[in-house]
Amino acid sequence: MQKLIRGTRRALGLHHPGRNLDVWPDDIFLISYPKSGNTWTRFLVANLAYPDTPADFSNINTLTPDPEALSKRELARLPRPRILKSHQYFDPRYKQVIYVVRDPRDVALSQFHFHRKRKVIGDDYPIERFIARFVAGETSPYGSWGENVVSWLATRQNRPGFLLLRYEDMLEDAARELAKVAAFLELPPDAGRIQNAVARSSADQMRKMEQTQAHLWSSTKSTRQDVPFVRSAKAGGWRESLPDSAVGQLEAAWSHLMVYLRYELRFPERTSNFDSRFLEPILSGTVR
Amino acid sequence: MIYGIKRVLRYTFGRDIAGRTLAVRPDDTFIVSYPRSGNTWTRFLVANLLHPEEPASFNNIERLVPDSEAQSSRYMRSLPSPRTIKSHSYFEPRYPRVIYIVRDPRDVVLSYYDFSRKYRHIDDAYPLARYVSDCVRGRLNSADWGTWGENVASWAFARAARPGFLLLRYEDMKAETGRELQRLADFYGIELTPERAAAVIERSSAERMRELEKTEGKDWVSTRNKRSDIPFVRTATSGGWRTKLAAEAVAEIEAAWGPIMAQLGYELVTRKLEITEPVFAATAPTRAESRG
Repeated sequence: MQKLIRGTRRALGLHHPGRNLDVWPDDIFLISYPKSGNTWTRFLVANLAYPDTPADFSNINTLTPDPEALSKRELARLPRPRILKSHQYFDPRYKQVIYVVRDPRDVALSQFHFHRKRKVIGDDYPIERFIARFVAGETSPYGSWGENVVSWLATRQNRPGFLLLRYEDMLEDAARELAKVAAFLELPPDAGRIQNAVARSSADQMRKMEQTQAHLWSSTKSTRQDVPFVRSAKAGGWRESLPDSAVGQLEAAWSHLMVYLRYELRFPERTSNFDSRFLEPILSGTVR
Repeated sequence: MIYGIKRVLRYTFGRDIAGRTLAVRPDDTFIVSYPRSGNTWTRFLVANLLHPEEPASFNNIERLVPDSEAQSSRYMRSLPSPRTIKSHSYFEPRYPRVIYIVRDPRDVVLSYYDFSRKYRHIDDAYPLARYVSDCVRGRLNSADWGTWGENVASWAFARAARPGFLLLRYEDMKAETGRELQRLADFYGIELTPERAAAVIERSSAERMRELEKTEGKDWVSTRNKRSDIPFVRTATSGGWRTKLAAEAVAEIEAAWGPIMAQLGYELVTRKLEITEPVFAATAPTRAESRG
């Protein structure tokens, strides 16, 4: 019976399509692994692309729609080109992709707190155990951090229609990075418009909006309100909060990738058994 | 609307094609490759390895090593664990154990061209050069698997040198079938005697598969209602591109996928790539091993 209901919801387009989204050729995707600055990027891009509608938690799902939060029917009715939010690993149908990557040591820490917020784990859950599951890709339906990042880099890096942004670079100079997005979206290089989008998307602004609007947004509705969604919005928090053993686990799994992405290792002498020489030439595509 | 109702019923009764919605089990093993890369041969090798009591054929292969992209969700659910499942999917993190077969893309496109004619996706007059461009740019009729480069790179880099991932080259399987079969057996933890190895290889030979296709091809899910004048089991050789593919087509393929081809040991003829140390990741010693 439950299957019949599910099937009927599908036929009427009331289900959330997620990975089974119907893709248009002009769709633009904002992709990252969860807890990598995806929401901030959504606000930045929405405020840049739609300057007449300041983004907040009540309209962000329509400005930059999320195929996991909207129904198939709603998604089909949105004006094109759509700027979609996603955490998906590689999908060949996505032709225009802005991919945001963040230091996995900060991602892991942020996801640990997010899982507390969503009551997936308790406050006393051992962080080492969480990190081991994070490395194995068991804490997310989008593959492990390394699998997700590599699936996009190996297929699309240095090809047209792919823009790689580092969360840390965005923190350092959001306007500079957003100018890259403007060029990617073929928007005019208007410094005032970019500055305005950055100001409207600041962590302070977003924190204020979260306080009044958290109950309106699909990602924060019915979660613990004492743990914020907009967290530190900083880079390097892992240095104080992650024990060495956890840092070691993360670096052992992905050192090759972290070096490629310019994330300095705490234990550079312990490299992962994944041979970075296999990776590098394909990512760089260097022809000499 | 009729289509909608059909879908509801299909889904409700589990008649929908499993594909990417397949319910994966932790003890599943997947045989994955881009199309036309030796997947069916590998299915026969594995089926004959796992089931010495029942020689593989096109009549039983969907039971022994089912095709998740041709069979229904319900059928896939009905099969006992542990299953070995065939797929052409690009990277899928839910697949726990993966045997990935890679083949020289210059041979893959040639074979795919014949296959597309067999499936009536193109007619015999379709220019091969245009077909190569379609492949490289991801414009194939059956484009669900990504391009060759996307499919191969997404798996090779996400999983290479990790436990539960076995990378095989079709060319090595042709040249050293016994050695590569041993790697398959090791992956499954199966003791392989020389007699058993010989039987597996004989039962999976191109000659035998061609004979089986003649009698069983009309019933098999992948060849049913397709042109019977073009065989599914083709030359089963490598290097055909050297005589059949124009220089421009070779150049187009190498321009798109040169770096990954070079890394996989396929020599480029139209461009030079300096890759300091060619490493075939799955067979290379890990850092820890090379340190001794």
